[in-house]
Amino acid sequence: MHKKVLVIGGGIAGVQASLDLADSGVEVYLVERAPSIGGRMAQLDKTFPTNDCAMCILSPKLVEAGSHPYINIITNAGVEAVQGEAPHFRASIIKQPRYVDEEKCTGCGICMAKCPVKIPDDYNKGLTKTKCIRIPFPQAVPAVAIIDKEHCIFHQRGKCRICEKFCEAKAIDYDQKQEIIDLEVGSIILAAGVGEFNAALKDEYGYKTFPNVVTSIEFERLLSASGPTRGHILRPSDGKEPQRIAFIQCVGSRDLQAGNEHEHCSAICCMQAAKDAIILGEHLRDVQTSVFGMDIRAYGKNFDNFVERAEQEHGTRFIRSRISSVEIDPAQDNLTIQYAGNGRVERESFDMLVLSVGLQSTPGLKGLAAKMSLRLNDGGFIRTTTFSPVGTSRPGIFVCGTMSGPKDIPESVIEASAAASSARAMLNEFPAKEICIEYPAQKPVNDGDRPRIGVFVCNCGINIGATVKVKEVVDHAAGLPYVSHSEELLFACSQDSQKLIDEKIHEFDLNRIIVAACTPRTHEPLFQNTLVKAGLNPYLFEFVNIREQCSWVHQQVPEAATGKAKELVAMAVRKAAYLEPLSNTRSGVNKNSLVIGAGLAGMTAALDLAAQGYHVDLVEKEADLGGNLRHIACTLEGEEVTPFLMSLIDQVERDPNITVHTRSSVAEIRGFVGNFRTKIETRKNGRNETASIEHGVVIVATGAQEYAPTEYLYGQDERVMTQRELEKYLTQNNLPDGAQARVRSVVMIQCVGSRSDENPYCSRVCCSTAIKNALRLKQFDPKIDIFVLNRDVRSYGLKESYYRKAREAGVIFIHYDKDAEPVVTRSDQGLSVLVKEEIIGRTLRLSPDLLILSSGIVPLAENRTLSQMLKVPLGTDGFFLEAHVKLRPVDFATDGVFVCGLAHYPKDISETIAQAKAAAARAVTVLSKDEIEAEGKVAMVSETRCNGCGLCVEVCAYKAIELDPKKNVAVIVEALCKGCGTCAASCRPCAISLKGWRDEQILAALSAV
Amino acid sequence: MTAFEPKIVAFLCNWCSYAGADLAGVSRIQYAPNIRIIRVPCSGRINPFYIIKALQNGVDGVLVSGCHPGDCHYLSGNFFARRRFALVKRFLEYVGIEPERVQFSWVSAAEGPRFAQIIERVTSDIKRLGPLAYFRKDGAGTEKVK
Amino acid sequence: MNSMQDELIKTVAKLLKDHTVDLFIGYEQGTLPLQTSPCFLTAEEDAKRLVWNSLCANNLAVYLPRLMPDRSNARYKRIGVLCKGCDSRSVAGLIKEKQVARDRVFVLGIACPGIVDKKKIAGLMKGTEIDGVEETADEIIVNTRDSSRCFKKKELLYECCADCTHPSPLLHDAFIGKENAAPRAPQADARVREFSSKERAGRWKVFEAELSRCIRCYACRNACPNCYCRECFAEETKPAWIGVTDDLSDIMFYHMGRILHQAGRCVDCGACVRACPMDIDLRLFTRVLVDEVQERFGYEPGLSLEESAPLATYRAEDKQEFMTEPE
Repeated sequence: MHKKVLVIGGGIAGVQASLDLADSGVEVYLVERAPSIGGRMAQLDKTFPTNDCAMCILSPKLVEAGSHPYINIITNAGVEAVQGEAPHFRASIIKQPRYVDEEKCTGCGICMAKCPVKIPDDYNKGLTKTKCIRIPFPQAVPAVAIIDKEHCIFHQRGKCRICEKFCEAKAIDYDQKQEIIDLEVGSIILAAGVGEFNAALKDEYGYKTFPNVVTSIEFERLLSASGPTRGHILRPSDGKEPQRIAFIQCVGSRDLQAGNEHEHCSAICCMQAAKDAIILGEHLRDVQTSVFGMDIRAYGKNFDNFVERAEQEHGTRFIRSRISSVEIDPAQDNLTIQYAGNGRVERESFDMLVLSVGLQSTPGLKGLAAKMSLRLNDGGFIRTTTFSPVGTSRPGIFVCGTMSGPKDIPESVIEASAAASSARAMLNEFPAKEICIEYPAQKPVNDGDRPRIGVFVCNCGINIGATVKVKEVVDHAAGLPYVSHSEELLFACSQDSQKLIDEKIHEFDLNRIIVAACTPRTHEPLFQNTLVKAGLNPYLFEFVNIREQCSWVHQQVPEAATGKAKELVAMAVRKAAYLEPLSNTRSGVNKNSLVIGAGLAGMTAALDLAAQGYHVDLVEKEADLGGNLRHIACTLEGEEVTPFLMSLIDQVERDPNITVHTRSSVAEIRGFVGNFRTKIETRKNGRNETASIEHGVVIVATGAQEYAPTEYLYGQDERVMTQRELEKYLTQNNLPDGAQARVRSVVMIQCVGSRSDENPYCSRVCCSTAIKNALRLKQFDPKIDIFVLNRDVRSYGLKESYYRKAREAGVIFIHYDKDAEPVVTRSDQGLSVLVKEEIIGRTLRLSPDLLILSSGIVPLAENRTLSQMLKVPLGTDGFFLEAHVKLRPVDFATDGVFVCGLAHYPKDISETIAQAKAAAARAVTVLSKDEIEAEGKVAMVSETRCNGCGLCVEVCAYKAIELDPKKNVAVIVEALCKGCGTCAASCRPCAISLKGWRDEQILAALSAV
Repeated sequence: MTAFEPKIVAFLCNWCSYAGADLAGVSRIQYAPNIRIIRVPCSGRINPFYIIKALQNGVDGVLVSGCHPGDCHYLSGNFFARRRFALVKRFLEYVGIEPERVQFSWVSAAEGPRFAQIIERVTSDIKRLGPLAYFRKDGAGTEKVK
Repeated sequence: MNSMQDELIKTVAKLLKDHTVDLFIGYEQGTLPLQTSPCFLTAEEDAKRLVWNSLCANNLAVYLPRLMPDRSNARYKRIGVLCKGCDSRSVAGLIKEKQVARDRVFVLGIACPGIVDKKKIAGLMKGTEIDGVEETADEIIVNTRDSSRCFKKKELLYECCADCTHPSPLLHDAFIGKENAAPRAPQADARVREFSSKERAGRWKVFEAELSRCIRCYACRNACPNCYCRECFAEETKPAWIGVTDDLSDIMFYHMGRILHQAGRCVDCGACVRACPMDIDLRLFTRVLVDEVQERFGYEPGLSLEESAPLATYRAEDKQEFMTEPE
């Protein structure tokens, strides 16, 4: 057996885990219960806090997973049983029939057009209809139809067979049976996601009773350009544009009344509401949006800014309240809600209500957990622990994404990579999967050889042929310069067409191939592969899109469509004459890695890399390992940190694969992915010694530091201290002054040095820390009065239950506003804290014996030097800025450099561990390869033309261009170039050309218009 | 006399606008057939000279479309492109080329309808202007200077 | 004026003597009365050839990239150059674009009162042969065989000089005359204004009419310090952007291309306009992007060595009002 992993669930987490594993030599079986992978993210319009288009960023990943040689996607399937132990699991998968042969279906969609049965479309949450036979959504992977047996006339009544009649590919198979697939795998990753709360259960909100009450997921479809209303928000009752929209938060979250499994905070709904409010404001200028919730939980990177944007640019109101009732005005279908705020009951009317439904466990999740003998937590999610955030109760089985608790996309992606790292570490005894296919030697095609172009025009059944006169296009092509052969095909993508193209290449000695068919975005790799098998360089291929961009959009004007198709083919023919064979340059990979920082993140990443057999140089500036974790005694959940840390340090120090450099720093880094050369400076006996190492990847895990307060008498009065200082006393089981009897009252002030003008972000962990220490104080002495002065209580996700426990223990939480910060003074009587309480609208005077400041987390000043050395960016907040906040949360745009832990943003222990493991997994996708293959279509410099002006260096987002100081010309680091061509378009003397998209090629196509 | 059917070239970035055009197709949204799409990796790949060359070749209009700001597959290509576009558009307009002949837009992979609307808009703009009667290298209809 | 010339001669003599520079580029009297020519001095005693007057028009920065073809292996260790405001902006641009090393150039700034357009004088003299000129602070006196005529300098300035906001060089290693870093209120070019107020077809007609005189001699390019490319797009064959023809559309493409290549770099020194043997009023077409770059990106070329060039950077919030939206 080779390295094999079963991934259950094909949402973004499952897809990410699969890609990470597949990219590091592991064969993956990706089992998805729906007919397409994509999961919930495929239904989202935009993603917070950047408002990236969800489909734009997801779809390339789905296509990549769909065509990855190491990934086997099994859709419409579920896991029935898992036997054995790691790393020898046996899983049986039941695949339900689709009634369509996946091998034969070309995804042309004719069946869907012809099917007479309309059914509600799940993808649009039932807001629109689809057909009984359908491709689930336009970007589905696999793009294969499925028949809904329940609604199929043939299945139910024995006649119809319309889809079968129209299917040119003969893919319909009404007799398809359930299939059982048995797999042997070394490890299993669960990523099947969760469900959402059924809003109808909270009947006080009127969902399903009142027409203008919708859930947040339905609303997301309404906002989407590809949704039922094409992005125009219209009220369901009368199709008018709503003017006043209210979001009701925490529907099915933070709500024990909804059931025992609804205590958690769903972690994403506050930001989703802020996002929807912003998008709404952009769609409808005069819309008024109001968000009713208990706290604004904007605890992630740039989240507070985002909420502020909603407030300031779009006038969104965030109203701290809980809704007691919703009534309808039957005449207009408007909704009046009643809520408590400002100490009295208010009523307000809206055109439309959006219920922010929470995430929750599902019977499916519990069933799966039972089948696999996994423990659940109180929320009904898969149980994990702080120190093992992706481990389940069964060794060798890992979990990621929302299955283990509510979380947003980047955290799911981080956990997915982390799970991949853990799973791969189980597989050390197995060799990597080797795909060895012998390809024929490539026929040399030289500059100056006469182009011999073959043109193949596809009918796509009747998808193209019914509109475009394919025969005419073929004849037209035959008369164009350098065309040696042209031919019509029924389905260009079918297996026999590949054989035919191969034969024609040899018969006519073709050296350029053009296929006019559907879109290159899905089908280009297929045809390129055919070229390779026929001994042609895959870049001697040009695709013409005459389906999506011609026949389908000009159905009423077949003549014009035919004319357009001819011209598009002519453009491709002109361009094809300029195509040239390209090779993907390869460079070797040094298998060593450099991890900078030996706190929790750095040590975790180093251990994961070492566990997978890679050597690590671990560099730490201090004399001791452990970083900030040395100051934390226990977790919110009550786990002891110190023994964990000691064992971690011990493992790091003993691991033969890890070389620890303490009192050291990185003085210089040169090179690029796979080939870095670094100088490490170590302080020894008052002198600096320099060592040079070579490595293939870098992980930045340099951490951050506690904010040093200057406010609230800190440093002036010994009764004022930070949470970290309090924690030290508590650990010694002793309060300051040695006199616990004297401490009767404690005030904690939140957001000290966070969410301020200076540090405008949330430090994420301070609310939990305050809750943790308040609970410990209460344990120490239940009689101590504790007041937590906060701006919002951000005990997101599963932390919410500790917030309840604290309130139950008598801890009093008092909200204060940013503009009315507490005032601290001292006198002979002691400390005095004045705070304006919002709900009763009065100023309270508190006289604490101890004042605890929840001081935030601030980035290290030295981040800047390191960022310049590594050529990676910092955000405006001073933390390292990842390549993409949603889908590449541990990568930098610069390949081979990764980030984790506090260096990236404040986060708690389990999040840090997950991110460190994720960084390791991403690093292994590089380290596991012997060579890195650069893109074929990369930039190239003509040294005779280059002025060395450096403009290209500045515009390159990937730092893939350097100036040669001797020759004074630009040099492309091909391993880093992604082929965007921004440099080429910037270059005045056209010294840079982008292979595959050269100016001559584009101008040639242009000349045929 | 047959109605004027303009020739319009659209340079679309591979990741968003080209995908948006595909989605318009998958959704069977019908739009004017005058557009000839040239796929490029990124709107940042567009050398402003392509636009001038297209006009010189006798194309009646040019559209360049890329990912919305922030969505760029290559992180920042469209931001650089936007600066270049702003200047080339201003310049061409200044020397006397109708602004509608050269247009720029953002279309995401999820915006099939928007893509079709943009094409309709650009096509109708250019139909209204009539054929490009100057600058063409073939001299067709050139307003000759004495 | 003369005192500045004396100071110039003294300063340059010292620079050459001390070997602060081993070449100095300045102006000397040309062969015709209204003409100054660039001069290249290597010896202390040559400094006395230098002149400074209202006719010192050439942008001497143009010579720097040619004299420093390879910075590590140049013939001269350090070159001194006399710079008016616009010229110093050109030098700053060249430094930023790595064509000239900062430590290899010595910028001798000089307070520029604005340069007089000799063609305007010739025009006013209506063909009468000129023997020589003298000047005072405000006036220029033109002597002919029979008489002399006096003109206000202000009325004879090049358009780009009247419109100049930074006549005093910002980047300099030494300075002649009175330094004044404060920007000056520009005086918009009436011809540019007239051009831009024309309707669309009228503008194109002027554009076409002006450029139809172009003989593609490339004098505009050769006079421009920014046109240092080893190979110009206009003559490239891979890709062949334009044919090597006298076709008007090719000529127009050349000028459009050149002007777009100057976007964010043109310091509006007027070298291209002065160089044109066909008297094409190129400034009608070059100035627009200077203004646009300033308005849109808040950028003026050559004022700083640190600030990123406008096409080398971006802001997420850059204006995009020109983007097409669906109707």
